[in-house]
Amino acid sequence: MVFLSRASKTLKSPKKLSLLQNHSTLNPLSSIFRRNPFFNKFNYDHFGLSQSFCSHSRQNSKENAIDLSQFPTERIRNFSIIAHVDHGKSTLADRLLELTGTIKRGHGQPQYLDKLQVERERGITVKAQTATMFHKHHFHGADNNGANEEPSFLLNLIDTPGHVDFSYEVSRSLAACQGALLVVDAAQGVQAQTVANFYLAFESNLAIIPVINKIDQPTADPDRVKAQLKSMFDLDASDALLTSAKTGQGLEHVLPAVIERIPPPPGNSDSPLRMLLLDSYYDEYKGVICHVAVVDGKLRKGDKISSAATGQAYDILDVGIMHPELTSTGVLHTGQVGYVVSGMRSTKEARIGDTLHHSKSIVLPLSGFKPAKHMVFSGLYPADGSDFEALNHAIERLTCNDASVSVARESSTALGLGFRCGFLGLLHMDVFHQRLEQEHGAHVISTIPTVPYIYEYSDGSKVEVQNPATLVSNSKKQVTACWEPTVLATIIIPSEYVGAVITLCSERRGQQLEYSFMDSQRAFMKYRLPLREIVVDFYNELKSITSGYATFDYEDSEYQQSDMVKLDILLNGQPVDAMATIVHNLKAQRIGRELVEKLKKYIDRQMFEITIQAVIGTKVVARETISAMRKNVLAKCYGGDVSRKKKLLEKQKEGKKRMKRVGSIDIPQEAFHELLKSS
Amino acid sequence: MLRSTFTPFFSTLPAKPRLPKPLPRTIFRASTQCPPSVRQNASLSMPAPIFPPPTSAYVHLPFCRKRCHYCDFTIIALGSASNQPEDDPRMVNYVQLLCREINATKAGEKTYPPLETVFFGGGTPSLVPPKLVSSILDTLRLKFGMSSDAEISMEMDPGTFDAKKMKEMMELGVNRVSLGVQAFQEELLKSCGRAHGLKEVYEAIEIVGSCGVENWSMDLISSLPHQSPEMWEETLRLTVEARPPHVSVYDLQVEQGTKFGTLYTPGEFPLPSETRAAEFYRMASRMLSDAGYEHYEISSYGKSGYHCKHNLTYWKNKPFYGFGLGSASHVGGVRFSRPKKMKEYNGYVENLENGLVDWGESNHIDAKDMATDVVMLSLRTSRGLDLKSFGATYGSSLVLSLCEVYKPYVESGHVVFLDEQRRAMAVNEEDIEKSLAYIRLSDPDGFLLSNDLISLAFAVVAP
Repeated sequence: MVFLSRASKTLKSPKKLSLLQNHSTLNPLSSIFRRNPFFNKFNYDHFGLSQSFCSHSRQNSKENAIDLSQFPTERIRNFSIIAHVDHGKSTLADRLLELTGTIKRGHGQPQYLDKLQVERERGITVKAQTATMFHKHHFHGADNNGANEEPSFLLNLIDTPGHVDFSYEVSRSLAACQGALLVVDAAQGVQAQTVANFYLAFESNLAIIPVINKIDQPTADPDRVKAQLKSMFDLDASDALLTSAKTGQGLEHVLPAVIERIPPPPGNSDSPLRMLLLDSYYDEYKGVICHVAVVDGKLRKGDKISSAATGQAYDILDVGIMHPELTSTGVLHTGQVGYVVSGMRSTKEARIGDTLHHSKSIVLPLSGFKPAKHMVFSGLYPADGSDFEALNHAIERLTCNDASVSVARESSTALGLGFRCGFLGLLHMDVFHQRLEQEHGAHVISTIPTVPYIYEYSDGSKVEVQNPATLVSNSKKQVTACWEPTVLATIIIPSEYVGAVITLCSERRGQQLEYSFMDSQRAFMKYRLPLREIVVDFYNELKSITSGYATFDYEDSEYQQSDMVKLDILLNGQPVDAMATIVHNLKAQRIGRELVEKLKKYIDRQMFEITIQAVIGTKVVARETISAMRKNVLAKCYGGDVSRKKKLLEKQKEGKKRMKRVGSIDIPQEAFHELLKSS
Repeated sequence: MLRSTFTPFFSTLPAKPRLPKPLPRTIFRASTQCPPSVRQNASLSMPAPIFPPPTSAYVHLPFCRKRCHYCDFTIIALGSASNQPEDDPRMVNYVQLLCREINATKAGEKTYPPLETVFFGGGTPSLVPPKLVSSILDTLRLKFGMSSDAEISMEMDPGTFDAKKMKEMMELGVNRVSLGVQAFQEELLKSCGRAHGLKEVYEAIEIVGSCGVENWSMDLISSLPHQSPEMWEETLRLTVEARPPHVSVYDLQVEQGTKFGTLYTPGEFPLPSETRAAEFYRMASRMLSDAGYEHYEISSYGKSGYHCKHNLTYWKNKPFYGFGLGSASHVGGVRFSRPKKMKEYNGYVENLENGLVDWGESNHIDAKDMATDVVMLSLRTSRGLDLKSFGATYGSSLVLSLCEVYKPYVESGHVVFLDEQRRAMAVNEEDIEKSLAYIRLSDPDGFLLSNDLISLAFAVVAP
């Protein structure tokens, strides 16, 4: 989607504009396409062309340039690449796109499918992307009508987010695939995310092709990895491909393996249309663009379709494939993957996992659709109170492209007007913050992240608490029970760190479910952990006690009953709503002390004494005082001093302006940032 | 949008600066007589206040024997020769230049009102030979005229004058002495780099007394390195015993670029802690008040009738001339500082003589600026901010917001609300807005935190 904004930006430049105006000169090419849809024979600038498609595909006559009817399901393969972070997923994807001529070597930016700045910086995939490739391969299983010519296959690479926060998106993307390349770093071996992703793929009944990557490294040990694959996943070692996406070694075996080992999509072309919505993004010119996989039937431009989840009907304004950018085809057949433009106004209408079908027919929705589940909540406030509108605008723009964030306005006495946002997980929250700052230049103060607790009151009512400040308990409405969300965590570590990790997990109220050794050097552990305990600093802590060797992944699990209490922070007796947290009763005192000490460090001395208290109900669990400032006076001020002294006082005024005021106490923004860092 | 479509759009824009133009001095001068014009772009919709021509003059005499370790003023160190040759060319030339500056000054009025106060500051003005001081005073008298009861102050350092010199100065008209004693402990004088010892301090006090200087001030510094509470108490006790009608107490400011600045960090040994420094301030306030001095400004104490008239012009935001190297003036609402380097000052005087200096050029008069000046300066005094005149000039809504801001600090004891009869008021009194006439900072709690309290007002006046 950044590509799209990039494209829309380039539209502003005269150079690109002229390209658009001259598109008629490109038209002769379309006749070539019609005769021969295999791009790998051409060496022309895909990017310029595809950008022109981007907003003008309706005006030009490129439709049907690629004849998708040539590809019955038996000559289609839909697959994804799954891997632990940094094991080489994106590089492998780049190489496959180059190998099929979909992108030209050295022309696209590296990590082609990771379009967001945050994806590139963090080496992660946040949004699902698809790319269609064409590849010729002589396959004995396929029909042999043209004995001389190798048949061409249509390969759809469906790139999925790797992180558990997005496991629902992953599972929907995988639902459109029949196979997956399981990429494992030849030196690092199986890691936590490899395990999590393997099970997601396994549960989706995918054909799994193990790819041991980075075999060019001096520390590569493919045999050890093969042994791990066998012991962990019961994968046959002889099936593993050995590659180096960097040097190109072994890559020639990858696509043949995809074609030969992964079954074609199972859909029925005679059935009524059913397609799976994989992801969506917002384009300024076209509106919402959805990635879809056609499971059954056929979709044509101009069709009327409906959403099974919302019942909303749309007209298909444009349909095509990602090759690798939007390329109009006017039609998508059974088993094919591409995009549709349907006049949806917001990505909120495009629910991932939804089934789209012809409005006139009644179909059974594809299974597995779930509305987004928000597991982490945090208040977002403009760092400067007057910037509320700017933040509002930035959040609106960002949620256009990330409908999985829930946004509700809230206000805080300390921070003013802001938003309570719900995220799929920690990474999702982090990524959202980063995108707010990077793509929209917003400066925000966020409150301590919290997970959704369920509280039961004496009158039998139950509420989900997303903001600790809203949890009330008084004599009329007493809390009788509380449930907190938990996760199932997978931790893989070198065996010497086992002791430290067990200690950490038990400190975090974890319950060990599994503990085994993958081989002589690596231990594998499964824990049930309260989500609250891993929200803030668990991963950092884990990394630091294992010298960075631990890998960690988790999946959502059920709620468990817990003794969770609200910890209030009072400044001179006044509760600061934005600092309230919900903590386990047994840890309340320790956390209270930590918070209070931190605040003492970050709040400057002021004109009167400040008491900082951490309080549960009426019980004070920690207390500190900041003594009053003794002296802040400019000794003398004569004629020549006036301007200088005034500057100093102006500076002091400006400093105060940046602070948040609770009662008569000025709290620097850093205090809020620091509180976030403690559990 | 395409760049090419932008270009013509921009080129059609008139080249207008975004900031309001500074008021040309001619217009400003007119406004001292005409009804003042309303300034745009100030949140306070109010006229620029009227500034009459000054009746005060500050004269900077930058010469010192050596630089003290805490000093960051504009000075010229003459060297350790304690006997000043009567006609050190550096002093002679400087005073000549200074007199040229006075003569070249145009205040814009046909007739100048006579001066009511003159202040010789430094440096160490008492190092300057009386003959040269005489020429300065003559020049001032000729140029502006001098009230018969004008207050003429001079900063004098122990060890730089004898009875003869003192008498000569008095004959020239100097009638107020600001005596730079700083401390009554030999070791402290030495460690802060003073050019005199304790013996000279006692001699100087003796001379001032024997020569019959009635109006004089003892200037002290608190929170010096290694200063103990006992030392400070002793200093205050000996000060009271010397019976000066005025005492100035400066809390040491450790400035960047001074010797102290490179050696010490405020609040850390050997400087007193913040708590102890505050205690020194309280001690001075208590002991001097007990001895009959009024704490009339943050660092000034005076017996009745002996408050420094010259310094009060500063705190009342009144206009004043400034003459000499690095000195500041406040004329026609414009604050201007002269160059601090001799060569540049020389050039400045030449330009002034040739009519090439326009103080108004780099400054413009801004109502917000004025209002913050008034607040900052008046809150330093025990009189406080006069709400009636402040409201009349800058609007009553501003007065109301100031009251709101300060109410919690009245309750905490940092600020005092006073009525027309200067009786303290409680914030919950009825009709407080109607009868409230002055806001002042309390002594010593409010004075001690004046930076914080005044910057609160800044946030109201110039948000």
